[in-house]
Amino acid sequence: MSDPSAREDVIGQSVIRRDLLEKVTGAAEYTVDITMPGALHAKIVRSDRAHARILDIDAREALTLPGVVSVITSDDLRGLYPRFGHIIADHCILAIDKVRYYGEPVALVLAETVHEAADAAELVRVTYEDLAAVLDADQALAPGAPLVHEQRYASSDDDSFRLLTGGKGKVATEAAAELSNVAHQVTLEWGDADAALREADIVVESEVHFPMLYAYAMEPYNAVASYSADGLTVISTAQHPYMVRDDLARIFDLPLSRVRVRAPYLGGGYGSKSYTKVEPLAAVGSWVARRPVKLVLDVEESIYTTRADPADVKITSGFTKDGRILVRVIDMVMDSGAYADNSPLVLAKALNRSFGPYRVPTLRATGRSLYTNTAPASSYRGFGAPQGALAGETNLDQAADRLGITSADIRRLNLVDRDEEILPGKRGLDADIKADLEMVLASLNRDAKDVAGYGVGFACTASDAGAYPVSTAQVRVQTDGSVTVLSGSTEMGQGSRSALAQIASHELGIDMSRVQVVQSDTAITPYERTTGASRTTTLVGLALQRACEDARKRVREMAAEIMACDGDEVTDVPGGVSTPGQAFLSYGDVIKAWFGAAAGEVTGVGLVRREGVTEKMPPFWEIGMVGVAVQVDSDTGVVTVDQLVTVADVGFAINPQAVEAQDLGAATQGLGMALYEELVYDGAQLANANVVDYRVPRATDVPAKLDLMIAQRRDGVGPYGAKGAGEGTLNPVGAAVAAAVARATGKWPDRLPLTPERVWTLISDSGSAKE
Amino acid sequence: MTLPDFALARPDTLEEALALLGDDQVPYCGGTELLLAMKVGLQRPETLVDVKRVPELRGVRSSHGELVIGGASTHDDLSRDALVREVLPLLAEVEAHVGNARVRVQGSIGGNLCFAEPKSDVATTLIALDASVTLQSSSGRRTLLVRDFIVGPYYADKEPGELLIDVRIPLVATRRGAYVKFQVTERPTVGVAVVQDTETGACRVVVGAVGEIPVWRDWASVADIDVEELSSAVDPVEDLTGSERYKRHLTAVFVRRALRDLERSS
Ligand SMILES: Cc1cc2nc3c(=O)[nH]c(=O)nc-3n(C[C@H](O)[C@H](O)[C@H](O)COP(=O)(O)OP(=O)(O)OC[C@H]3O[C@@H](n4cnc5c(N)ncnc54)[C@H](O)[C@@H]3O)c2cc1C
Repeated sequence: MSDPSAREDVIGQSVIRRDLLEKVTGAAEYTVDITMPGALHAKIVRSDRAHARILDIDAREALTLPGVVSVITSDDLRGLYPRFGHIIADHCILAIDKVRYYGEPVALVLAETVHEAADAAELVRVTYEDLAAVLDADQALAPGAPLVHEQRYASSDDDSFRLLTGGKGKVATEAAAELSNVAHQVTLEWGDADAALREADIVVESEVHFPMLYAYAMEPYNAVASYSADGLTVISTAQHPYMVRDDLARIFDLPLSRVRVRAPYLGGGYGSKSYTKVEPLAAVGSWVARRPVKLVLDVEESIYTTRADPADVKITSGFTKDGRILVRVIDMVMDSGAYADNSPLVLAKALNRSFGPYRVPTLRATGRSLYTNTAPASSYRGFGAPQGALAGETNLDQAADRLGITSADIRRLNLVDRDEEILPGKRGLDADIKADLEMVLASLNRDAKDVAGYGVGFACTASDAGAYPVSTAQVRVQTDGSVTVLSGSTEMGQGSRSALAQIASHELGIDMSRVQVVQSDTAITPYERTTGASRTTTLVGLALQRACEDARKRVREMAAEIMACDGDEVTDVPGGVSTPGQAFLSYGDVIKAWFGAAAGEVTGVGLVRREGVTEKMPPFWEIGMVGVAVQVDSDTGVVTVDQLVTVADVGFAINPQAVEAQDLGAATQGLGMALYEELVYDGAQLANANVVDYRVPRATDVPAKLDLMIAQRRDGVGPYGAKGAGEGTLNPVGAAVAAAVARATGKWPDRLPLTPERVWTLISDSGSAKE
Repeated sequence: MTLPDFALARPDTLEEALALLGDDQVPYCGGTELLLAMKVGLQRPETLVDVKRVPELRGVRSSHGELVIGGASTHDDLSRDALVREVLPLLAEVEAHVGNARVRVQGSIGGNLCFAEPKSDVATTLIALDASVTLQSSSGRRTLLVRDFIVGPYYADKEPGELLIDVRIPLVATRRGAYVKFQVTERPTVGVAVVQDTETGACRVVVGAVGEIPVWRDWASVADIDVEELSSAVDPVEDLTGSERYKRHLTAVFVRRALRDLERSS
């Protein structure tokens, strides 16, 4: 039944999202809706300075307020492991000895009501001794710079982290040898770069700055936790509940099985809800008070909880005179804030996504992720690829200009072919990226305009997607033939609930309405490593296919037993089995007959690991292929995106409408970073930690002309040849917009976002738009 | 960002409302500014006196050659009001593009003026139209031109015991006007209103949002308008939407665009 032609009616069809109605009507349950009996409300007392030693925390006055139960500081966490962090365990739950950024949690007030907690939080007096701060990358790297961390922390010994970062070649990923503000550094190298640069006919150097961003999700971080003799239960806005579980188990030294993390629907995440955020705070609150604790942040607090890494990237490329890449040399610096979180991995990915899906015979790429006294940075949709692509793709366009060839031709010449390796030793490209490029070019050319201030740009990326392939799924077939699918993967708006239902429906030959999908509860749903890197359809899909296969096998064995026939005489038919004695037995018939009562169920288990189709890393390559046409108002510098062209190279679109929606959403988010979004520090504090001044895209910013194409060549390892979508289309947008603006103005911008003033300055001043 | 505790009074008459007002008893209309200020701790009034039920603050009428707009009228009300659309289509248009949909259905013209947020379209337009406000307290009533009422950023010439009852705009049949703004975030970066008496040719140009208070100039004719003078007269506030240099440049661009639109208007 894995033959996709058998039930094309379910897979490959745009189905109505399962969560549509409840979300539109407001009935959908989010973490913030969940209360626990007797819960206290928590409010965080935050640092009001960038870097300071904590001399004293005086909670006496706060504790006199009515309703206030407790004021917790790091002193109260004795006996616990007071830090978290899945790669580097450097992140204090509550500041220990010193604060490292404005907004860092210093104390946690617990009270009977939200208001009482908020009022009391204002009365907690913290005495500090200010320390010299490093507020950006340059300051962090300056000789003699004050240290954000004076110590090293335990790093993850999980080998998968190394496998996620490097290729074959020479790969080094490590913390710096000496104590400095370098949190992590990565080198990726093959060939002799210096020699290759000497041999090149032309050498093109460029430098870009990628802005500090916030992955704005409508739902701010929040969690509710209950610690009891029985263990810990946390309901939270976590993309990766299992990863959060691991951090929490370490904090309380609990067996993994006694930590339960559940994630209901997420109100958007975009990577910002990857890994542990506010869960430890709610959990230690409950541990101290022995009552459930609810903690809800506002948008400003959320921005100070996790932002995305800005990057400064220098890139030097050498070419032959006919335009072939000989060598690329890249140096990247990321400002990762006060704690590492996932930035080491973001750095590694940004680096391996900075030279593009091209044949690069010689490479030297070095990157450093820096500690600074600013809010911690972590994953953001695209995972370093937008940073890398801005550098690599605009450098390639500038080279094309110098070589006197078109941006299309330089890519045609250098893009890798199907199955060719981008990273030595890794999976060859499972896509026809050259064909994807031609699709974008054809669409852009069809609508080309020849007017002043008009420019077209395009860019391409390939990201090593899917993260680490550890995925499990279960299906429970009921006596009425209906099915429960269990997955630890989170429904965060991307539509996984529908896609998984489609797959189960197809695999078991039952109507989709008879499939229920239950997700993200570590006590109930089986292990899923992460919900990120566009992996769910591919990896959970594979696990689910295997779970369905396992369930069918069990049903066949039961049927053979009850019909007293040979195992291989029983065959699968949609919704049941066929035996020599009876042409059709439904799953329910078999289960009931086997258990001898109108009772029982059959569980099928599906496991995915680095083996077979998913042996080679990455599990799949995710293509980003985007073109834009912009109109620049030379009086004001306003850039209007007139046309957006995307290709979703997904192998097979299980739910085409969902693929289009992911691409439109990803591209629109990309337009945000290209044109509007940037967190701006003014001293220790952000100048725009709110969504009035931090300008995210609006419905009216969506380009007038959209061409959202899907390339279906069944070349992925996922079900029916599927590969993931979701991040890919965001990755090249910044580079494409920068190129379009360059074509429209005749000058190359060197930073995003291309705000009206920057573009106006670019046009009106000689030189570049550098600030 | 939690709202502090407060009492809510909902008077039905003007007398009751005025009697309730005091230093810690403040008028509350749409709450779009006030509640935000309270949430971030800038204000902590004891009582909010809801003015929305006071009849004198409601509705739009024309009286003695003036358009009289109740102070509690929302931006959305005014953008749809048949009388406003007929006699002052310029104001209806401006109101239709204030902020966002939530601000328009909640925020009032009176609240906009009393809060005196510098990034206002409404004040700029009303100054160009030579509008005035009627203020009343339990001890009396006074009338003030909007251009005098807006004294500084977040500062209107209003006593704690006063309510803004209505906004009055002289109706001049021979008048035409235009308003253009540059806006990338929720509020305008530069707004320019130009109003001309087609009989005399005299015109007024008002530049708002760019500085702390609107800057206005009267000219005998469009030809006399000195765009350079205006763009150097404004005192731009530098912020994330632009440097001083850029905002001066935008001022000139948008004054020219306003004049272009004026020529196109009937
Ligand atoms: C996100 C956002 C975007 C915005 N964008 C724009 C824009 O693009 N252009 C623009 O012009 N404006 C804009 N505004 C401002 C908006 O127009 C005002 O917030 C609104 O009109 C205020 O009216 P309100 O009824 O909500 O006032 P409230 O918040 O209720 O009151 C504001 C102040 O005025 C006082 N007050 C209110 N009514 C009276 C009265 N009748 N007499 C005496 N005092 C009174 C209150 O005590 C308070 O001090 C924006 C506001 C927001 C929040």
